[in-house]
Amino acid sequence: MSFHPDILCPFCGLGCGDIGIDRDPSGIAPRPSGCPQADRLFRRSLAVPTDARLGGAAISMDDAIAEAVRLLEASCAPLIAGLAADVDGVLAALSLAERVGATVDHERSDALFRNLSVLRRFGWSVTTLAELRNRCDLVLVVGPDPAAAFPRLWERWVVPEPAFVAGKGRSVVFLGGDPLPETVRCLGGRTETNGMDTGAETDLATLVGRLRTALAGRSRDGDPMAASMAALAARLRSARYAVVVWAAGLFEGPQPDLIVEGLVRLIRTVDGTTRCAGLPLSGADNLIGANQACGWRTGFPLRTGFDGGGPLHDPDRFDWRRRLRDADVTLWISAFRPETPPLATGGSIIMLAPPETTVAREPALFIPVGTPGIDHPGDVFRADSVVALHAGALIDRGLPSVAEVIGRMLAALGRTARTREVAGC
Amino acid sequence: MLTKLAGGRLFDPANGRHGEVADLWLRDDRIAADPGPGATPDAVHDVTGKVVMAGAIDIHSHIAGGKVNLARLLMGEEHDRHRFAGHACGHDGIGGDRIGGGSGIATPSTHTTGARYIEMGFTAAFEPAMLGSNARHAHLEMSDIPYIDTGGYLVLGNDDFLLDLIATNAGQAAVNDYVAWMLTATQSLAVKVVNPGGINAFKFNARSLDLDEAGPHYGVTPRSVLTTLARAVYELGLPHPLHVHGCNLGVPGNVATTLDTIQAASGLPMHMTHIQFHSYDTAGDRKFSSGAAALAEAVNRTPTLSVDIGQVMFGQTVTASADTMAQRHTAPLAHPRKWLAMDIECDAGCGVVPFRYRDTSYVNALQWAIGLELFLLLDDPWRVFLTTDHPNGAPFTFYPELIRLLMDRDYRLAKLAELHPDAPAHTTLGSIAREYTLAEIAIMTRAAPARILGLADRGHLAPGASADVTVYSDVPDRRAMFERPDLVFKGGRLVVRDGVLVAMAQGCTHVVRPGYDDLIERRIARHFDERLGLPIKHFRIQDAEIRHGAGPQLHPCQRREVP
Repeated sequence: MSFHPDILCPFCGLGCGDIGIDRDPSGIAPRPSGCPQADRLFRRSLAVPTDARLGGAAISMDDAIAEAVRLLEASCAPLIAGLAADVDGVLAALSLAERVGATVDHERSDALFRNLSVLRRFGWSVTTLAELRNRCDLVLVVGPDPAAAFPRLWERWVVPEPAFVAGKGRSVVFLGGDPLPETVRCLGGRTETNGMDTGAETDLATLVGRLRTALAGRSRDGDPMAASMAALAARLRSARYAVVVWAAGLFEGPQPDLIVEGLVRLIRTVDGTTRCAGLPLSGADNLIGANQACGWRTGFPLRTGFDGGGPLHDPDRFDWRRRLRDADVTLWISAFRPETPPLATGGSIIMLAPPETTVAREPALFIPVGTPGIDHPGDVFRADSVVALHAGALIDRGLPSVAEVIGRMLAALGRTARTREVAGC
Repeated sequence: MLTKLAGGRLFDPANGRHGEVADLWLRDDRIAADPGPGATPDAVHDVTGKVVMAGAIDIHSHIAGGKVNLARLLMGEEHDRHRFAGHACGHDGIGGDRIGGGSGIATPSTHTTGARYIEMGFTAAFEPAMLGSNARHAHLEMSDIPYIDTGGYLVLGNDDFLLDLIATNAGQAAVNDYVAWMLTATQSLAVKVVNPGGINAFKFNARSLDLDEAGPHYGVTPRSVLTTLARAVYELGLPHPLHVHGCNLGVPGNVATTLDTIQAASGLPMHMTHIQFHSYDTAGDRKFSSGAAALAEAVNRTPTLSVDIGQVMFGQTVTASADTMAQRHTAPLAHPRKWLAMDIECDAGCGVVPFRYRDTSYVNALQWAIGLELFLLLDDPWRVFLTTDHPNGAPFTFYPELIRLLMDRDYRLAKLAELHPDAPAHTTLGSIAREYTLAEIAIMTRAAPARILGLADRGHLAPGASADVTVYSDVPDRRAMFERPDLVFKGGRLVVRDGVLVAMAQGCTHVVRPGYDDLIERRIARHFDERLGLPIKHFRIQDAEIRHGAGPQLHPCQRREVP
């Protein structure tokens, strides 16, 4: 039995570096971290089957690679998705996508694109977690409590005493969503939901619009919400450094990107006179790292494919959920957690996932891979997109990394590889 | 592998050769001495009459890291229009010898960046603004750029830790230890300061900060940040002097601040970067004129100073900078009209503003002229470097055009005549007859950059140097000449022939590691725990992380006695 302190967690995107791990001959288990994701996902057994499977039957890794290459070479419309891998794995997947003419997307990119669509057409003003922790005197949380996706957000980045906030510390105001019970416990007196009279209005876009109206000083008298919005606007204006936090993945309703755009415009207004910045959170399973790597390698964000003219980006057409329908071969990469969403496709699935993965339907080909930060070292990005972290290895189960498996596929692709029209057949 | 380049004219100013005809020998990845009669080279290239230089080195080009990747996102329209297919290079086109597809002009993707540089005969380019908090990202990106050597300049001077050291009078030795620790932890080559204290002040809502103005919270002036860092760099004996992006970038009248900044260095070595953006005076009806003459004079008489220009060229580009304060002033001029800003990790920030420089704009025309004026009025090519501050003044692919402007007076005057009609009156450019020689170009783009960065085996052609060699045809159209070299060797391997990529090669990452007293680590660790919420061990970048395990190339520092 050995204890390993200060282990880096690669899962939700907060980049907690303080996880304690116990290791014994049976495997690893985390000490309770306060995070249900870490507590669950760091628990790995050494006794796992490490065979690849073809149609459910064990085959050698050599045969698995050969079969994967055969499927990809014969494919007219390949898709590489899931893309939950460390940076090296993503780069390898991009090289493979280019060679076989596939499009790439990350399982959780929906949340990201709600933010990116605004960034790409309008820009934004944002900040990072350490600025939130040290500089922010007013947190405005818009929409559902991000702790649902980022469990230790408040504990690690808002509860600690800020370094540069004088006076009575900071407040956390929730607009259009209620704090989870754990959040209320964690934030204590910092939380404010009282006085936020939003009536029966629950539509986030409307709420954000009302707040912007109040900031512009154009609220209608007699509007039941006007007074509380005017009060909130005044607080934003008098804060020294307000941070507007949202997790766009949790927004419901149509056109969530318009909510994001409203928030960015709101931030710009406030930031004209005092300081105010956004903190758009998305990023589990190295979503941000996948997008960063795709950005530097291709010049485009995720949802990019390759045709004869080079990389081609289409945020709608290359959404993996749409591509899955017409893809004849899908390489599904899910290195972080032993679970996959339902994959409704008529095509074949090659799955790269941890050996513990439970699948609803056995894929055509299953190749077990290690988890970055558990089975092998790997780079992952934090949800605020600036900080990349190098997660180390904790156990050796003889599992290859995604980059290694795809590297072997690339080597085996040989001279026959050609580039095809994206998603064409 | 032994290669002979026969009969070329060697422009190798570091070794006193200015066009002498000589054979050049490459053995494996190094330049070799003439092996004498009887040697049987594996390859012979007849380069009779051709110009042979070391591979060119770009000392200041934003090619990697968070702000560059954000800029790519903001420049989506350009990327959609400029896509490049990946392809095999050379006969062994499968496996490693393949250049990946990509996109973009001002913010090219990684493989495209490497390809564009090597096609022009550049074998190294350095990322001049690497934030400590973003260093791992920058390194990941740099290692994905093929062909060229890279390295990062660590941005300091707005980080709360350093400002706190200065504000609490922790002393120069503590600052030196901190700087050395950070350089080591982030695998950096040099130290850069960007708008000293100004980015930090902006986080406290200060919208401007002059050289001698005390910043908020710490009460520290930019002058004090600048001199403290310049001294740290000097005492640690880093090869490259403090790389300074000064105060008041882009502000009319800022030449006064720039001259004051030179004074502030008071004899300490300093490299002032993209000085074109810091050379503006306020004469004339528009209150915007050239301050180049005064600045050039000051630089000429200060031998401890080196500069690069940050030349503006006309067309669409994007400005990407850690200087959030300056970028907020530029934002209303964004073209297309979108921009982004970011406060980063109690470290620094970043601002990205797309921009189109137009020759019909008085201001842009004058910026163009001021850059050229500086090039031509600065008389020591060992202390001036060819940069466009890529992509801020223009994409680096404009270098051949810029070289032609410097080498060809008639061409320059013809271009000047095409500009906004009021611009020529506010610059001395029209009256300057100087034309750069090939020897001076070789100094400015090879020998001097290697020397100022401490890269002993780069930028020259003596035996033992890295076999990074570029061969050009000596044609009167200098743009055509420098756009498309006949041959480019990287590490001894022929990678470009007649402008076409014929093989793949990888460069290396250059770093320094000046050493520090371990005591400082305790204080830094506390800062990481209490402020940054990250155990210090997760911040440090290990050698094995650099270039997929290849590790960095280390350059020695010559520590100087502290008086």
